[in-house]
Formats: sequence, structure tokens, C-alpha cells
Amino acid sequence: MTLKRLVSLPALAVWHALFWTFERATWQYDLMVLAILAFVWLTPPGWLGDPMAGGPGLLGILADLLR
Amino acid sequence: MTVTGAIGATFLLPLRGIIAFCVALRIHPNVLTLIGVLVSAGAGWALAIGEFRLAGFVMLGASVFDFIDGKVADRLRLASRFGGFWDSVMDRFSDLFLLIGLIYLYADLGRPDYVLIAALTLAFSVMTSYSRARAESMIPLCKVGFMERPERIVLFMIGAFTNRMAAVLWVILVLSVVTVLDRIYFTWRELRSDGREATA
Repeated sequence: MTLKRLVSLPALAVWHALFWTFERATWQYDLMVLAILAFVWLTPPGWLGDPMAGGPGLLGILADLLR
Repeated sequence: MTVTGAIGATFLLPLRGIIAFCVALRIHPNVLTLIGVLVSAGAGWALAIGEFRLAGFVMLGASVFDFIDGKVADRLRLASRFGGFWDSVMDRFSDLFLLIGLIYLYADLGRPDYVLIAALTLAFSVMTSYSRARAESMIPLCKVGFMERPERIVLFMIGAFTNRMAAVLWVILVLSVVTVLDRIYFTWRELRSDGREATA
């Protein structure tokens, strides 16, 4: 793999994530779902100023454990 | 099989029984669509009063009607162009009910920031569907962009069941904006490559 291709790979991944042309039930779809669920469940509600949810969230709990 | 494919196949099993039941009773698919919208209105009400878990269950019920109407239409040989139009229009109402419920809730909580986020989500959810419908009046297919209606509904249910509605709203908003931009770009590219852009 050339250096040019290695550098352009992340840009290509971002482009495909933004300009979405994949069908459902593909590995790309699974990856996107995983990223979304990680954001929804890991982000502490306080960071988003969630009016209905409180607590540190999974990311906050992990941060506390690492401290 | 992918993970999302396996989850879809698992949920399809009980739905087959419900479809067979509706076919046996010869329930008209347009009636199923209407029931789905009325149930969605109930989910909107549950969201408006902050009963997220209840809203999640009601949304689950509404999504059953939403899923089976087309299948029942096929099985009863009642699929029609009007049925497709009716389904699309009712789907927009369902989306509006859910987001209006959230707008009411956040307004009631005195949170204008989330009123704005929910209102923008509502606008871009409608624009996602409109941009595709308008594009497909000029080009054969405009099925690009991630955030379509099934994804929105599943995310709303996840947000309701796990009380993470704010994060879900952000995801739906950002990805709906991206989806609308995808559809504008795709339509522009298709029309330009066909040379139809100059004659429009």
C-alpha cells in the first residue's frame, strides 16, 4: 500500500460515511449503527444538557474508574 | 449475515404471524396505515408528558402497523398507487406527532435550546422525505443518505427506552442535514450527467 493511499484512506472513509450509498444489512451499515449507539449510550447526558436524563453515562463512569 | 440483518430477521418472525392474522381477517391495508398514525399520535402524547418508556412501547406498536401495511396489501393483492401515496402522507404525520410531542415537552420544561433542536429535527426529517420525492420526479431513484424513516423510528425508540432522547435528537438532526445535502448533490450530479439540467 502506497503512502498516498494510506493517507487518503481516512478521507475516503469520512466521504463514504457522509455521502452514504450503502444498503441496510451491510458491514458498513453495522459500523455506522455501532458508532451511533456508542455516541447515544456513552456520551454523558450532562455534556449535551439533556433536559430529561442525568448521571454520568457510561463514558463518565469509565472516566471515574480511571481516575 | 450482518448483525443488523440478523436483528431484522429476528423481528420478522412474530410479524409474519400478525401479517397472516390481518390477511385472514382481510383488514384493508389503508386502515392499518391509519391505525398506525393514530397510535403514533398516542406516542407523541406520551413523549409530551415525559413518559418516555410508555412512548417507546406505543412507538413499537405503531411501527408494527407501519411495517405490515405494505405486506398485507401485497398478500391481499390490494397494493395500489393511492395506497403508496396514503402511506407516505401518513408517515409524515407520524413523524410530526412524535417531534411535536418532544417540542411540547421541552417547552414545558422551559428549555428553548431543545425546542429549537427538536424543531430543526422536525424540519429536516420532512425535508429528507421531500427531497427524495421531488428528486424522483426527475430521476429514477434518489436513495442516498443514511437517515431515513426506519432509522429515525428505531432511534426514537432507543432514546425513549433508555432515556437518551437528547443524544438521539442530535444524531437524527445532524444525519438528516447530511442526508438532505446528499440528496441535493446526488440529484444535481445525476441531472448534470444526463444533460437534463439544461432543459429543466
